[in-house]
Amino acid sequence: MRRAQGWLCVTNTDGSLDEAATFTCSHCQKIVPCRAAQDPYALGGFCRQCDRLICSRCVGRDCVPFMKAIEAAEQAEYRRRQLERL
Amino acid sequence: MARYNAGTGQGGTPQAMSTAYKTLVGLTCPSTVRRAWVYDLMAGADGTPADNAMAFIVDRQTTVGTGTAITPRPLDPADGATTIVGTVNLTAEPTVTADTDLLEIAGNQRASFRWVASPGGELVVPATNLNGIGLRAKSPTPSSYTGTMVGSVQFWD
Repeated sequence: MRRAQGWLCVTNTDGSLDEAATFTCSHCQKIVPCRAAQDPYALGGFCRQCDRLICSRCVGRDCVPFMKAIEAAEQAEYRRRQLERL
Repeated sequence: MARYNAGTGQGGTPQAMSTAYKTLVGLTCPSTVRRAWVYDLMAGADGTPADNAMAFIVDRQTTVGTGTAITPRPLDPADGATTIVGTVNLTAEPTVTADTDLLEIAGNQRASFRWVASPGGELVVPATNLNGIGLRAKSPTPSSYTGTMVGSVQFWD
């Protein structure tokens, strides 16, 4: 990973810290811990359509970037509200 | 863009842990729809220290559930109140969207965790009424922690 999208820190019972960089799946936003220079395919996968890392759950599924899915859901909600006003 | 904090200490009574997930903090989109971006999550146990297994999960929810409604506090006092609805210390769980766990961590009761997003890695609460994100915890079988947990979620909108 060249640029991590997050940082995860677990404080252990002895007071020591376990730290890991994380990335956020482009398709479902799952947070996945990773190590520096780790093979993207060992973390889940790399979507060549949206050019982003994805989690193992989204491997093999269609490319629907999460923000696109949110915009579609928001549009559907907006249309439903407009219809309710009629 | 203002930043806010929603935490279990802002209202209600912390609920005892069980083998089923309990929502510590929930953020929900209001009817005046607006997005929120979660960038910081923290959770840990505040009961008597002991060695018990704990599990945390962050997932998407489509109802509010039953809990204490709070107004998330702005980190900068000069900012106004957010319209995002905060609900803490839930007594009845909201509807959780299947297969949407965003972060899952198993740990010891004595341990705590924190996740911080880099810019661009935030979790998005969609601008759809009653949709939201919840930080939940449980004490899985055969663990027996029945004390309480505290958690905090920071976001901007």
